[in-house]
Amino acid sequence: MPKHDVVVIGGGLAGASAALEARARGADVAIVTKLHPARSHSVAAMGGVNAALEEGDSWEGHAFDTVKGSDYLADQDAVEITCRLGKETVLRMDHWGTPFSRDEQGRMAHRPFGGHGMPRAYFAGDRTGLALMQTSLEQLFKANATIYEEVMAIDLVVHDNRFQGVVAYDVKSGEVLEIPAKAGVMCTGPAGRMYAKTTNALTCTGDGLGMVWRAGGALKDMEFVQFHPTTLHGPNVLITEAARGDGGIMLNARGERFMTKYAPKLLDLAPRDITSRAIQTEVNEGRGHPGGYVDLDLTMMGEAKIRERLPEVWEFAEKFAGVNAAKEYVPIEPGQHYIMGGIATDTQGATTIKGLWAAGECACVSLHGANRLGGNALLECLVYGKITGGHAAEFSKKQPAPPPSPPALQAAQRKVDTLLKAKGGENVQRLKDEMGAAMVEGVGVFREEDGMLRALTAVRQVKKRAQALAVGDPGKRFNYALVEALEMENLISLAEVIAYSALLRKESRGAHSRTDFPQRDDAEWLKHTLAWKRGEEIAVTYEPVRVTIFPPKERTY
Amino acid sequence: MTKVRVRRQDPDKRGGKPYLQTYEVDTPKGKTVLDVLREVRSSKDPTLGFRCSCNSAICGSCGMRINGQARLACSTQAQAMVDEFGELLIEPLGNMRPVKDLVVDMGPFWQSVMAVKPFLQHKGKEPAGLYPVNKAQMDFTKIARDCIFCGSCVSDCTSLEANPQYLGPAALAKAFKFAGDPRDDTTKERLLNYSKAHGIWDCDTCLYCNEVCPMGVKPMDAILHMREMAIEAGLVHTQGAKHALAFYDTVMEYGKVNEAFTAVNSLGVKMVSRNVARIFAGGAVTGKRPAVLKERLASMGQVDKLKRLVKESRRKHRG
Repeated sequence: MPKHDVVVIGGGLAGASAALEARARGADVAIVTKLHPARSHSVAAMGGVNAALEEGDSWEGHAFDTVKGSDYLADQDAVEITCRLGKETVLRMDHWGTPFSRDEQGRMAHRPFGGHGMPRAYFAGDRTGLALMQTSLEQLFKANATIYEEVMAIDLVVHDNRFQGVVAYDVKSGEVLEIPAKAGVMCTGPAGRMYAKTTNALTCTGDGLGMVWRAGGALKDMEFVQFHPTTLHGPNVLITEAARGDGGIMLNARGERFMTKYAPKLLDLAPRDITSRAIQTEVNEGRGHPGGYVDLDLTMMGEAKIRERLPEVWEFAEKFAGVNAAKEYVPIEPGQHYIMGGIATDTQGATTIKGLWAAGECACVSLHGANRLGGNALLECLVYGKITGGHAAEFSKKQPAPPPSPPALQAAQRKVDTLLKAKGGENVQRLKDEMGAAMVEGVGVFREEDGMLRALTAVRQVKKRAQALAVGDPGKRFNYALVEALEMENLISLAEVIAYSALLRKESRGAHSRTDFPQRDDAEWLKHTLAWKRGEEIAVTYEPVRVTIFPPKERTY
Repeated sequence: MTKVRVRRQDPDKRGGKPYLQTYEVDTPKGKTVLDVLREVRSSKDPTLGFRCSCNSAICGSCGMRINGQARLACSTQAQAMVDEFGELLIEPLGNMRPVKDLVVDMGPFWQSVMAVKPFLQHKGKEPAGLYPVNKAQMDFTKIARDCIFCGSCVSDCTSLEANPQYLGPAALAKAFKFAGDPRDDTTKERLLNYSKAHGIWDCDTCLYCNEVCPMGVKPMDAILHMREMAIEAGLVHTQGAKHALAFYDTVMEYGKVNEAFTAVNSLGVKMVSRNVARIFAGGAVTGKRPAVLKERLASMGQVDKLKRLVKESRRKHRG
């Protein structure tokens, strides 16, 4: 049986950073990923990574913009840690070989991003995530790191609230295996696939959150779900915010630049929650195109500039929508993009389970509060991946190796066998579609009590019906029907937590926008939601927001 | 309804023998090949094996052979394929071992990538700030950087088909990312390594890798850059470099390729004399006989002009 000091679950940017740091500190570390690290969703991040590197900028400036962007729900000590480390983090990636775009004088090129008072997003073309992920993968290769490829973690092994390893399903062979470890870091990334309209990968199913949920850990602020304003109408492929940073503007069906009404100062570069609501309002009030979308105008940039600065946008418009972005408008609509909430951690990334840390999108530390600013997610992965990898390594040095847990392995095997033999009539994809539509409708850009209740009811019905799934493939190798059934369990739990947490929060803050409670209510709601599994019920507790530097103010742009 | 044919195989079924299975699926405009495959798996045949993740042409999971050419399933419109080829035929990537249906063993692919030392090697102290690199220097490796490891170039590489030990276009594009990076201090060692057997000189410049890459990466151009860099770095004693230089010398001297002398220069007198009978015998059959006399082209002026142009374009290209 394999055994390690530290096991990192997920091989994206956070996971790679955690593994590299743990290894640098002398721990025997392994990455467990259901994909290959190169396939992780970090590669899809486009526009940039933030740091205060320019003359006249400061970590305080970056921190203020982040806190304001978060609608004051971010924990300011975590914001401070992240923003202070921005500079050395970006430099580290440059030193490791990330090809950050340069200007003629050799300075790193940067661009403005929504909600930032200064241009501070550093980029490598519009494929920054890909570039950073490649560098991280190169460093993993260099370190000859242990990687369990295409091995899907199913559940954590936890005794007396103490982490002892994971049980996993090897997609390649069909075997169920146990990987004991002294410490763990959850880096499983996004979880947006419970929404029908999402920019997330098909594999972004919140497996890490699901595992922690079942193991009795807390999930924090799950009601805060970011909708990216500019996803391609239809397939919801992401059109990066950089398209607006580089000059693109949005127009409604009447050809009006509607952002003048919603954010007179920042216009098209207002933060994502405000911009998404602006688009949705235009559509809801009949000023969108039939089918519910508006236009993104990039024509003023000209073909050469679009292709040089936004090659991916150019290509997506062409391949997925048949649009020539230099001559035609790109049809856009908001789509689920990011979940600010996640596995609850303290300022150092420790979860509520002893010996287990979490970093990146699956975690909630909370850097983004009620709304994340563009360019802060890549930074969080790099910063908190490193921090948590370091803590896990140091912790593991003081711990004895945990014994294997036959009951946990048997339970995992039983779970897999039960699904393989299941002869129920319910189809995974159909259930996912139903849940996805209910979540977009009820817990989407705008929310109100009745809609959220309907969504919650729909999700609970899906949960019930999912007891009788039909996998339909009894095979051992690359049984993706089984993988999707395992993922579905995670998605359903999380959809329920999102809808329930949203229903309880009776205010509007950041991405949580209630038409029945349109105001932010600091007196009652300047606090984090913590959700816990109690049998089949959800128990909710609250904890205060750590306000250290910036007292809450009204958020206008 | 469109008939979709998928090449399948499963070591646990039919003795692992490949077979074609036909499915019927609607392919309206906007539906991608990945949409087609996902529909098959979720509503017709859950046993169909294929990888996918991002659905946005950036993760590289869904590389496969579609109507004879490597493509990403998620960014290939299904009906457009049917319009062009009269059918939709989906097969696993070439030059790789299928393990189940459209899933191939990527192990050897990653081994080749690892073999080129795919990481920055900087000697001495790192700078306190950024590496001093300007735009032109940074942009030199642009043609190799957007690789998503989808395996398309490897699938359709004709040199790999002939020599499975060849490092292949994906690994060599990755190699160029570092050989051409001014921050890397091991350029010459890299070029020496890449010049050995199964390296940069094994590419037969068929151009397929450049053509099939869904990200606009140009592995062949990267390989040609490294050949040039290797020769400029004085690595002229490898088989490949000698061959290229022999071509270069004869063109410079005579204005055209003089095959007899090229062979002598690149292979050596011994090898050629051993094979001289075969060379002429082959020539008699094909009507193609190496010119032995030192004929110079009459219009060397135009050749000189061409040489100047080549030099200029190289300078421009290298910044």
